[in-house]
Amino acid sequence: MSAETTISADVRNESAKRKKKIMAAIQWVLAIIVLIVIVFPIYWMLVSSVKSQEEILLATPTLWPKEFHFENYVNVLNRGNFAKYYWNTTVMTAGILIAQVVTGIFAGYGFSKGKFKGQGLCFIIVLGALMIPLQVTFIPIYIMMANWGMSDTFLGLILPEAVSPYYIFMLRQTFMSIDDSYIEAARMDGLGRVGIITRILAPMCKSTLFTVTLVTFTNGWNAYFWPKIIAKGESRRVLTVGLAYLKNTFAGGESMNNHEIMAGAVLAVVPVIILFFIFQKYMLTGYSKAAMK
Amino acid sequence: MNEKKINPRKISAVKDFTCVLPVLIFLAVFTYYPIVELLRISFTDWNLLNDTWQYVGFKNWNWLFAGSGNKYLWNSLKVTVLYSIGELSITLIGGMIFALIFNRMTNSFAAMRAVIFMPKYVAMSSAAVVFLWILNTDSGIFNYLLSLIGVSPVDWLGDRNMALISVLMLTGWRCIGYGMMVYLSAMMGIATDYYEAAALDGANAVQRFFKITLPMLSPTTLFLFVTTFLSSMKVFQSVDILTQGGPYRSTEVFVYNIYRYAMVDFRMDRASTVGIFFFVLLLIVTVATMKVSNGNVTYDS
Repeated sequence: MSAETTISADVRNESAKRKKKIMAAIQWVLAIIVLIVIVFPIYWMLVSSVKSQEEILLATPTLWPKEFHFENYVNVLNRGNFAKYYWNTTVMTAGILIAQVVTGIFAGYGFSKGKFKGQGLCFIIVLGALMIPLQVTFIPIYIMMANWGMSDTFLGLILPEAVSPYYIFMLRQTFMSIDDSYIEAARMDGLGRVGIITRILAPMCKSTLFTVTLVTFTNGWNAYFWPKIIAKGESRRVLTVGLAYLKNTFAGGESMNNHEIMAGAVLAVVPVIILFFIFQKYMLTGYSKAAMK
Repeated sequence: MNEKKINPRKISAVKDFTCVLPVLIFLAVFTYYPIVELLRISFTDWNLLNDTWQYVGFKNWNWLFAGSGNKYLWNSLKVTVLYSIGELSITLIGGMIFALIFNRMTNSFAAMRAVIFMPKYVAMSSAAVVFLWILNTDSGIFNYLLSLIGVSPVDWLGDRNMALISVLMLTGWRCIGYGMMVYLSAMMGIATDYYEAAALDGANAVQRFFKITLPMLSPTTLFLFVTTFLSSMKVFQSVDILTQGGPYRSTEVFVYNIYRYAMVDFRMDRASTVGIFFFVLLLIVTVATMKVSNGNVTYDS
């Protein structure tokens, strides 16, 4: 009797093991199919960017380039001032990053560790701003900035993005988790507010700080809506907008020149993708961190 | 000696307030004041092509609700809702399916997950020109692949029935990995006791998913729903690069509609009127989703 139950248990175990193996195999197969579909656009961008014009127009597309034409990259840099767009994007991103980090850290401190009358109300003003996107307010801001002579300037590109309610909110939540006793101890040692922020809070919240800053960088680098409105001219056009205009510079021959457009697309994403692979650990949680709060 | 009378706590409060003051001033100038200004412009006839303007009462509002603007208002509302439904389905359902597929804690799966998530960081404009090329009617590879299974070439971006689907393909490509990551990190938080207990009760994998995983993930689903819904209402860039709202306004989402009035027609008055309407709409959706999120959710106690 007892022998029989052990046997049936063994059989059950065996079949459970086999089931698990089949499950794993199915997962592997599905995962690889999904992977191919998701990676394909990136692969196609890279491959197309080094093909010749004749090759991209072939009726039967080639999965691997016959010859490598790296001069496409040089051509696209010379066409439509792409190098200048690169510079503009870099300056704009740096400006936004510095402004958001500085204002965000101080405001985050004020809302978490500071104490003053009306603190709650002030924080509601910040949270309320989350509900008013630039897509709603861009008309008055555009008129205002044009009147100030800021269209086609770096200041015009940076200023409306200088403060991020999201960044402030995230930092406030993180700073709240630091125990007040650290702050008190630092105060006893004679540290001022700037000292407390730079020597205590920032180092203790390093990983969150870094993560949200990476998101800020990415959003700045990839920004499109506002730069398109405020920097319509050539002089301060940024990469994302320049890329969208690039297809127009070929005047009707757009599909004839997709090899060069793809080279431009690669150039535009390279910095962020490099960051992504270096700081994967942070960037994977970057956009989902808010979910935990 | 007068200095000593000032309460040190008060000084500290003033200093703390100084930390947040720049932000408050900024938000007053660049967020709250523009809303008031937007409302004001909606009662004028401000047109960037003319030098002067005057107040015209409810003329623009009349144009929006009873005049020629009405047709386009409802069109853009319809397109935006369709787009939102599409993006929500892809992020929630697709993200959940991806999360189940990639729910293996090995190094190779971790690497694959990172790659699936990567498109989120690819600039939308780069992604959009790549999709323009892939979906190209004559020499795009997508139509070529379809021709291998006998489908005749589809005009993905020029056909009014296909254009929105094409925009959603691009959106889906960029967002599905995000849905997956959010779901996966929540799945890891579910205690294994539940699954062990259910296995003892003889529940199979499908039952376990619907009876445990799905209900336990409802706060996550809600979070994804709210954030995705709100961001999908603001879609602009993919539409601007792929279709410019066309063909025949079949992809003209709300923000694009406002953008067209303001930056193409230079009708600041009309653009502001639609802008205020859009703002109220966003507020209603935000408040409604917040109300819903206070009930109807299972939390792990």
